[in-house]
Amino acid sequence: MGHIIEMLDITKRFPGIIANDHVNLQVKTGEIHTLLGENGAGKSTLMSILFGLYQPDEGLIKIKGQEVQINGPLDANRLGIGMVHQHFKLVHNFTVLQNIILGMETVKGGFLEMEAAREKVMALSQRYGLKVDPDALISEITVGMQQRVEILKMLYRDNDILIFDEPTAVLTPQEIDELMSIMKALAKEGKSIIFITHKLDEIKAVADRCTVLRRGKFIGVVDVASTSKEMLSEMMVGHKVNLTVQKEPSQPKEDLLKVEHLCVTSKREGHIKNTVNDVSFSVRGGEIVCIAGIDGNGQTELIQAITGLTKPKSGNIFLKGQDVTKQSIRYKNTHGLSHIPEDRHLHGLVLDYTLGENLVLQEYFMPPYQKKGFLNQKAILEHANALIQKFDIRSGQGAVTTARSMSGGNQQKAIIAREISKNPDVLIAVQPTRGLDVGAISFIHEQLVKERDNGRGILLVSLELEEVMNLSDRILVMYEGEIVAQLNPKETSINELGLYMAGSKRGNDLSNA
Amino acid sequence: MKKGLSILLTASIIGSLSLVGCGSSASKASGYELALVTDIGTIDDKSFNQGAWEGVEKYGKEKGKTYKYYQPTAKTTAAYVDTINLAIEGGAKVVVCPGYLFEPAVFELQEKYPDIHFILLDGEPHNEDYSEYRTDANVCPILYQEDQAGFLAGYAAVKDGYTKLGFMGGMAVPAVIRYGYGFVQGAETAAAEMNISDLEMKYHYTGGFDATPEAQSMAASWYQSGTEVIFGCGGAVGNSVMSAAEGANAKVIGVDVDQSPESETVITSAMKQLSVSVYDVITKHYDGSFQGGTTTVMGATTNGVGLPMETSKFNAFTQADYDAVFAKLVSGEITTLTDKDAESAAALPVTHVTVDVIE
Amino acid sequence: MILTGALTHGAKGIGQIFYYATPIMMTGLSVGFAFKTGLFNIGASGQFIVGAFASVYIGITMSALGQVHWLVAVLGSLIAGGLWALLPGILKAYANVNEVISCIMMNYIGMYAVNSLVKENPILFDQAKNQSYSVAQSAVLPKLGLDQLFAGSSINSGFLIAILAVIIIHILLNKTVFGFELKAVGLNHEASKYAGVNEKRNIVLSMVIAGALAGLGGGLLYLAGSGKHIEVLEVLADEGFTGMSVALLGLSNPIGILVAALFIAYITEGGFYLQLFDFAPEIIDIIIAVIIYFSALSLLFQHLITRITTRKIIKDNSKEEITS
Repeated sequence: MGHIIEMLDITKRFPGIIANDHVNLQVKTGEIHTLLGENGAGKSTLMSILFGLYQPDEGLIKIKGQEVQINGPLDANRLGIGMVHQHFKLVHNFTVLQNIILGMETVKGGFLEMEAAREKVMALSQRYGLKVDPDALISEITVGMQQRVEILKMLYRDNDILIFDEPTAVLTPQEIDELMSIMKALAKEGKSIIFITHKLDEIKAVADRCTVLRRGKFIGVVDVASTSKEMLSEMMVGHKVNLTVQKEPSQPKEDLLKVEHLCVTSKREGHIKNTVNDVSFSVRGGEIVCIAGIDGNGQTELIQAITGLTKPKSGNIFLKGQDVTKQSIRYKNTHGLSHIPEDRHLHGLVLDYTLGENLVLQEYFMPPYQKKGFLNQKAILEHANALIQKFDIRSGQGAVTTARSMSGGNQQKAIIAREISKNPDVLIAVQPTRGLDVGAISFIHEQLVKERDNGRGILLVSLELEEVMNLSDRILVMYEGEIVAQLNPKETSINELGLYMAGSKRGNDLSNA
Repeated sequence: MKKGLSILLTASIIGSLSLVGCGSSASKASGYELALVTDIGTIDDKSFNQGAWEGVEKYGKEKGKTYKYYQPTAKTTAAYVDTINLAIEGGAKVVVCPGYLFEPAVFELQEKYPDIHFILLDGEPHNEDYSEYRTDANVCPILYQEDQAGFLAGYAAVKDGYTKLGFMGGMAVPAVIRYGYGFVQGAETAAAEMNISDLEMKYHYTGGFDATPEAQSMAASWYQSGTEVIFGCGGAVGNSVMSAAEGANAKVIGVDVDQSPESETVITSAMKQLSVSVYDVITKHYDGSFQGGTTTVMGATTNGVGLPMETSKFNAFTQADYDAVFAKLVSGEITTLTDKDAESAAALPVTHVTVDVIE
Repeated sequence: MILTGALTHGAKGIGQIFYYATPIMMTGLSVGFAFKTGLFNIGASGQFIVGAFASVYIGITMSALGQVHWLVAVLGSLIAGGLWALLPGILKAYANVNEVISCIMMNYIGMYAVNSLVKENPILFDQAKNQSYSVAQSAVLPKLGLDQLFAGSSINSGFLIAILAVIIIHILLNKTVFGFELKAVGLNHEASKYAGVNEKRNIVLSMVIAGALAGLGGGLLYLAGSGKHIEVLEVLADEGFTGMSVALLGLSNPIGILVAALFIAYITEGGFYLQLFDFAPEIIDIIIAVIIYFSALSLLFQHLITRITTRKIIKDNSKEEITS
C-alpha cells in the first residue's frame, strides 16, 4: 500500500506568523486518515494548500508518487481530490441529481443528457449504500441526506481522495453512525479519506491513522488503534486535559425561570407554522437544564421568545415569579436574565466595537459606566481589565482591541464574561462551545458549572450530545417545536437520547418539566 | 485612526499638487480688457450669457482686444461681486453683466471702481432689498422693449397666414408679460390690416422657466385642437413647446435670441439684440462716448429688438413687410401697451383677436 | 495655482474658504452621521432646502423678533430639516422601507414643496427675479468681526456654528451613551436589539438628527447675507450631494468631514482664482473634479490597503493566539 498523498515539509508563512511549519502529511491508499488539531493549528491552511488555494512557501506535494503543482480547485479536482465542506454547497431548489451533475453536465447536441447521469448516480448510490433519491429536492431532504449528496458529488467526479471537513457537526448520533459506516465502505472500495475533526470518539471509531498538528507544527502521526483518547488530546493541546466535566450532584432550589404554554409562530415560505408549540418547563436555581435536539426543531425560536428577540404568540414567561412576557429586552436584561446567544457575531458582539465596549454592551447606560449621559471610559476600561484577567480573554491590545480581530474562542469568552459578570439569576447559554477547541470548551464548561454552584439557573441549548450528557442535570428533548421527553442524564444513554431527538421515541411523563 | 486620516488627507493634497503642477506653469496673462461674468449658466446657454458673449467676442476679434469670460462659484450676490472683482483684477476695463441677477452686485461695485465701465443687461442697479436704485456714470444698464419684439412676432405670424396662435409664457414676470402683450397686439394689428376677425389666441403662463412634461402636454393639446403656432416664451418652456411641435408637425416662435438652430419647427424668434447692444456699448467705450448714469431702453429705434429675417421660415411675410412695420415702430406710428397698462392679457383692447387666457 | 490660489488673496481667500465650507460641512456631517448609525441619508438635499426655506421664511416674515431674529431663523432651519427626515426615519424603523428610496422621494417633495411655497407667497416671492426676497437684516447671521478679520469675504458666524456642530456630533458619537447606542445600531442592529437597545427609536432619532444637520446647513447658507436666494427652479440642492463626497472623503468621521469640507472649499476657491489665467472655466471644473476624485480614490486605496494588511495580521495573530 503506497502513499496516495504526500505533503512533505510544507511551510506556509503569512506576515508575522508561520501557519504551517514543516508539516508532513502522508496518506495511504484506502485508509481513513484524521487530521487532528485545535482551531488555528493549521489544519485548514494545510487543506487549502492541498486544494490549491494557497501555494506553499517550502515543501512539495506528491499525488500517487508524482510531484504536482496545484494551482486551484480545478487542478485538485483533476487530481481526484474532492471535499465535503462544513457548509454544504448545494442549490436548494434543484433536485439531488441536478446538484450532483452541476458543473459536470453531460450534454448532447446542446441538451442535457440526464439518463446517463442518473444511471451513474444510481449505481454509485447502490455501491456505497447511500440510499439517496435522485429526484428529491434538496430543500426537502434532511441534513444527513444533503451530506450524502455532497459525497455523491465527489464520487460522481471520480475523486479518489475525499476530504471531510468536520462532517459530524451537523448530524444526529444515528446519522453519525451511518456516516461512519459509509466512510468505512468508501475506504474499503479503495478511496482514501482525510477526516478533519476534533472529536476523539469519532477518530477512535473510524480512523486508521491520525496526524496531529499544534500551533502550525507537525506533532506526529499515530496509529489510532494503539493510542488512547487522553494521549490524542494531550498531543493536540500540549498538556493534559480533563475530558469529562467535574461536578457535584445538583442542589436545585426554587423556580427562577418558568415558561408556560409558550407558542411561537413563524412564516416560512408563505405558510404560518408553529415553530414552538405549547412548551412548558421551568429552570430552578442551582441546576443546569439542557434543551437537546437536532438543529432547527424550535430551540432558536424558543430562546428568542424567552429573551424577547421575538414575540411569542401565546403563553407566559416568568422570571423569579414575575410575568415578564411583555417586558422589553432591556427590562429582562436588567432584571436577572443573561443570554449567551447562539450566533456570537450576529447577536453577541458589535464586532467593530472594542472589547471593552462589548463588555458593557448591556450596562453602558448604567452607572458607573454612564455619567450624565456621557460614557465613563475609565470605568469601562477598569471593568474590561478585570474581566480580561478573570476570564483569561486574550486579545492583541487588551481592552481596546476591536472584537472583530479576536479569535472565536476569545470572543465567546468575552460574551460569557459579560453575561456572567452581570450576576444573573438565570443564564441562558445557546451552543456556548460551538466551533471552539478542547481547551476553550473545558474552560466554558467549568464556568457554567461554577455559576450553577453559585445558585443560578442555567438553561443550556446544545446540539453536541457529549456536552448535553456531561453538563446537564436535566435534559429536555425538543422535536418539531415540542418538548417530547424529560430525561435524567445519569439514567439515559446517548443512543436513547438520539432516538428521542429524531422523533422516533416519545417520553410520557412531562408534567413536572 | 484620526491621526491616520489627517495623514491621508495631507498625502492626497500633496498627491494632487503634483497632478496640477503643470497647470501652474501657465503664465498669468497681462490682462483681458473685455470681461463677461456669466450668471451661473455657461456661455452656450442660448440665452443671455450667449448673446452677450457673442457681442464681446465679435468686438474683441474685430478690434484685436483681449476678452475672457469668468464664472462665479455660486449663484449669490457675494459670488458675483467676487467674480467681478476677479475680472477687474484680471485687467478688465469693461465688465459685461448679463441679466438682472447682477443688479445688487453692480450696485455695490459701481462706486468702488469708477474707472471701470459696467454693462448691465436687462436690469438696473439697486440694493438687495430694492430700497435704493442708483446708476453711476460708469454703469450702462440696458433694458429691452420686449413688447415690441413680441409685437413683431405676432404681426409677422398673422401676416404669414396663421390664424390660430398660442402664447406660452414662463413665469408671469414683467419681461414675459411684455412679450405676451406685444404678441397679442401685433396679431391684432395684422388682423385689422387683413380684415380677419376670427383670430384665436390661447394665452398661458406655465409658472416656471423649466421644461416640464406638463408644459409639453399642454402645448401638444393646443396643437391637437388646431393651434398652428405657439410663441414659447420663458427659458426652457420653449423647449417643451418645440418638443410638442416636433411631434405635431407644427410651428414655434422662439424668444430672446435666434432659436432657429434649436429646432426645425422655429419659424422666427422675438429677439433682443443682445450681442448688438453689447457690441455697440463696447464701441462707445473705446471711442469715448460711453453713456452711463442712465438706463438705456433698447427698442426698435435703437435696433435693440427684432426678428432674424435671414433664418425665418415665412411663406408670405417678406423682408419688405418687416421693414415697413419696423419703421412704424421706430417712428412711433405704432405704440404698444406694456405690463403696466393692463391687468391681464384678456383686458387688452383688442377686437379682432379672441384671447383665451388659460389659468 | 489651484492649490495656492485661495491664499493669494490674503485673509479674504481664507474667509471665503470658511464660507464655502460651511454648508457642505453641514450636509457632509449629516450624511456622515447617518452613515455612522447605519443609515444612508441621500436626502440631505431635500432636508437642506427645507431648512433653507424655514430660515428664509422666518427671516423675511418675523423681523419683529429683533435681536434674536437670526437665532430663531437658524433654529427654524434645524427643526424643519429634522422634521423632513422624520418621515423616512419612521418608515425605515416601523415599516422597513429602505431609507434611500424614501429619502430620494423626500428630496423631490421638498424641492417642489419649497418651490410652490415660495412662489405662492407674495411676501416671499420676488417675481421679477423668480426667487425669494432677501431676508431681513436682523435675520442675517452676525459677522462677529470675522468680516474684519477676513476682510472682503462672506464669512460669518455660520462657520462657527458649523464647527460647533462638528464638535457636538463628535462628542455625541464618541463620548455619550446615546452615541454609543446609535453607533451600535449602525454597526450591528441585531446585537443592539439583543443588548436591549430600542433600535427603532434610535433609527428615527438618528435620521432626525441627520436631517436637522442638513437643514441647519441650508439655514446657514441662506442666512449668510451673501445674496443667496431660494430660486424657483426644478433642481435639487447641490449641497446635499456635495455633502456625500465630503462624508466619503472624511470617512464619515466628524473631524474628517471638517477637513474634507475645508479641502473641497479650498480647491473650489483656488479654482475660482485660476480664472485669472488662460483657463476656460470648464477646464477648471474638470481639474477640481479630478482632484476630488483622486483624493477620494487615494483614500479608498489607502483604506483598503490598511484593512487588508491589518486583517492579515489579525488573522495571523489569532492563529498564534489560539495555538499558544
